[in-house]
Amino acid sequence: MGDMASGQIAITVLMGLLLVVVAALLTRIENWRSYAPTAGASSLTGEETSYGHSEKPGGITRWLTTVDHKDIGILYGAFALVAFAVGGIMVVLMRTELMWAGEDIMSASLYNSLLTSHGITMLFLFGTPIIAAFGNYFVPLLIGADDMAFPRINAIAFWLLPPGALLIWGGFLIPGMEAAQTSWTMYTPLSAEQPMIGADLMILGLHLTGVSATMGAINFIATIFTERDEEVTWANLDIFSWTMLTQSGLILFAFPLLGSALVMLLLDRNVGTTFFATEGGGAILWQHLFWFFGHPEVYILVLPPMGLISYIIPRFSGRKLFGFKFVVYSTLAIGVLSFGVWAHHMFSTGIDPRLQVSFMAVSLAIAIPSAVKTFNWITTMWNGKIRLTTPMLFSIGFVANFIIGGVTGVFLATIPVDYLLHDTYYVVGHFHYVIMGAIAFAVFAGIYYWFPIYTGKMYQKALGKWHFWLTMIGTNLTFFGMLILGYLGMPRRYATYNLVSVGPIDLFTILHQSATIGAFILLIGQLVFVWNVVSSWLYGRRVADGDPWDLKDDALYSREFRWHERRMNDDLVLADGGASDDGSEES
Amino acid sequence: MSTADSEDHGGHHLPAVEDWPRGFGEASWWPFVTAVGGALIYIGVALVIWSSSSNPTLTTVGEQAVTLRVAAGGVLAASVLLLLAGIYGWLYHAFVATYWEHGTEQRSSSSLRFGMVLFLGSEIATFGAGFVYYFFIRSGAWSTDGFPELLGSLVLINTAILLTSSVTLHFSHVALRNGNRQRYVRLLGLTLLLGVVFIAGQAYEYYEFIVHEGFTIQGGAFNSAFYGLTGLHGAHVSLGAILLGIIFARSLMGQYTPDRHTSVSTVSMYWHFVDLVWVFLVVSLYLGAVL
Repeated sequence: MGDMASGQIAITVLMGLLLVVVAALLTRIENWRSYAPTAGASSLTGEETSYGHSEKPGGITRWLTTVDHKDIGILYGAFALVAFAVGGIMVVLMRTELMWAGEDIMSASLYNSLLTSHGITMLFLFGTPIIAAFGNYFVPLLIGADDMAFPRINAIAFWLLPPGALLIWGGFLIPGMEAAQTSWTMYTPLSAEQPMIGADLMILGLHLTGVSATMGAINFIATIFTERDEEVTWANLDIFSWTMLTQSGLILFAFPLLGSALVMLLLDRNVGTTFFATEGGGAILWQHLFWFFGHPEVYILVLPPMGLISYIIPRFSGRKLFGFKFVVYSTLAIGVLSFGVWAHHMFSTGIDPRLQVSFMAVSLAIAIPSAVKTFNWITTMWNGKIRLTTPMLFSIGFVANFIIGGVTGVFLATIPVDYLLHDTYYVVGHFHYVIMGAIAFAVFAGIYYWFPIYTGKMYQKALGKWHFWLTMIGTNLTFFGMLILGYLGMPRRYATYNLVSVGPIDLFTILHQSATIGAFILLIGQLVFVWNVVSSWLYGRRVADGDPWDLKDDALYSREFRWHERRMNDDLVLADGGASDDGSEES
Repeated sequence: MSTADSEDHGGHHLPAVEDWPRGFGEASWWPFVTAVGGALIYIGVALVIWSSSSNPTLTTVGEQAVTLRVAAGGVLAASVLLLLAGIYGWLYHAFVATYWEHGTEQRSSSSLRFGMVLFLGSEIATFGAGFVYYFFIRSGAWSTDGFPELLGSLVLINTAILLTSSVTLHFSHVALRNGNRQRYVRLLGLTLLLGVVFIAGQAYEYYEFIVHEGFTIQGGAFNSAFYGLTGLHGAHVSLGAILLGIIFARSLMGQYTPDRHTSVSTVSMYWHFVDLVWVFLVVSLYLGAVL
């Protein structure tokens, strides 16, 4: 218990520090913006315009009251990166524990809490929000809309996230409270019977973030359907918006279902209902409902990053996206099929073998549209004029890691292989190749590619390359070792492995240690990233060029950079995606 | 800005010209207030759970539980007030205050309608999870021992009331579009009244079941389904009644015309949807349980 308490204090202190850093950054946010090409440096009112009335108040009020899709995008991005740091610190602590076989630096129950919170944080507080960040900032620009369809709902959706995060992390933040130890899947009966309040807080927080995601999804779909510029038709809608549209469609049906399932779980825990009790739906019903949400969630997280990659790769290959239509069709196909694969997470629960086979078939089938995309990315680069900028490096890294993550997934979708590998580190390696190796890589690619637009600055290129190589090496060192660990039979979710008797302990130790070293390399890479982003944003040189990537040379110049150029040339801040028509507003 | 650009974005407007704080085109406190109110509900529920738990850290300090309970009540009350204030301010500034100055924007109207359709799509999933539970247990071993009389006259009357309210709402909307304002307002008021009577009927049914029949939410697998689904539906009807109340009040203020009735049609869509769910619910839950 002593261990546990000191571990918890350490985490609380770490998170406290993080919050202080964030607060400090927030107070400087005005300064960041004052470096932007368009804002008056001594302005009291955030961004000044030539219209005689300002569109946004100054100081912190601007950020609390904003209904501008670009500001909300930045808020989402800042929130998501803080969550990424929290989830990352959690996993670094876990990996440190796994350096040695025994219970060394923390108790097993603290490890379980960290494991639960790491998963929830990365999926719900980093993954979904960072995608919303890109979507908010860039979808209206890409489709020529003034703003999102519902600017206020957009702001509400964002502001539900921070309290949701506080609830999810409540078990760590509140002294004397134990955090949930259910793992992110919250399987019953464990999750229904675990006594700590931290689990209730987590369920409530998850529900809140789900409401936020659903509001965001409705907004994205309505925006893309009804707010497009007349020039933007379905035929020339960009690939990123296509993936955002499909993803939002998945959110629309997946998250509310999870929301209801979470409420049922909460009632089972506190009111005495029988939704997931043996006399009611039982543990298997939870798994059905959870994975009916959970598997689409995988595609909710991966489709927009795929869209980013499909958007960025052509721009540094000097060619248009190969087979654009088929990339769109494969996106839609994945969207539809993703609702028909959930039970491949449940092969080893003893569900009807005929059901298992049909779910295996659909799961194998969903590999086809994924492969279509992969081949399209490769053929786009084939014979292209490749420029290895940082966003391009991350995009290529995405393709490489996604191939490993995808192919290991095909193996897992096969029932007999799944029986062998279920609940081993192979599964962990597989989905981290996709989530870290692919999704996070695409996020980095997007952050670097659009950095000149949302900061008005250019990042430091050498640091960007360091970030890429450290991340690429760290990812593969960490997660390839996990695939081997899984083949050797190392079960997932264990805090220790000195009692695991399925394989040679020495080999386990070596593989775990190399995975931990990989995690440290990842940590160093992300510190480089944070330094690069913060220092470039604060002190970087202003981008004077409306075409920082020389896209015009290859006729790949796009709407968001055209907007960026116009904003610079006109030397005034546009309220949002469009031009401000002066006459109609009061001044 | 050149005229060409303004035309580019066909009738661009800033989202929050008349708002709090005043004088800014892209700033409004209402979303923040609404979100804080909504989030505090969750925190209030968390405090309720915390205060009523047998958490060892609490039982050692006895009065802490009491403090927590008081705090929970306070937070819940504050959260509801904040949420309502936020929604009121939001709707007032976005739609009501400048109602007559706004042009008839085809685009904004169609996105609002479409937004409602999407929301109803998400509602299918919300109700779906509850129905899946019910079908899951219904397809197993089944016994109606201990059930109260589900298909009494109350549920039949209530169903008739709710169905009627959909009809009155539809003809109310038709009347508005035909310019028959008096008929529109009367039928809308009648719809609201029927909705409130339905909610009262449901509350009476709960009272009968819980107090007189001893049929409570903890009583077993079917009880969970019954109270889960009817409770979820009841919450939706209540929200629907609030929405009807808002458009009724706005109608009394003289708003809505044959050409401008976006929120009347979105609220209608919601009300018809909730009505449809009720029919499905009666057939599967009330009738299906005893068949």
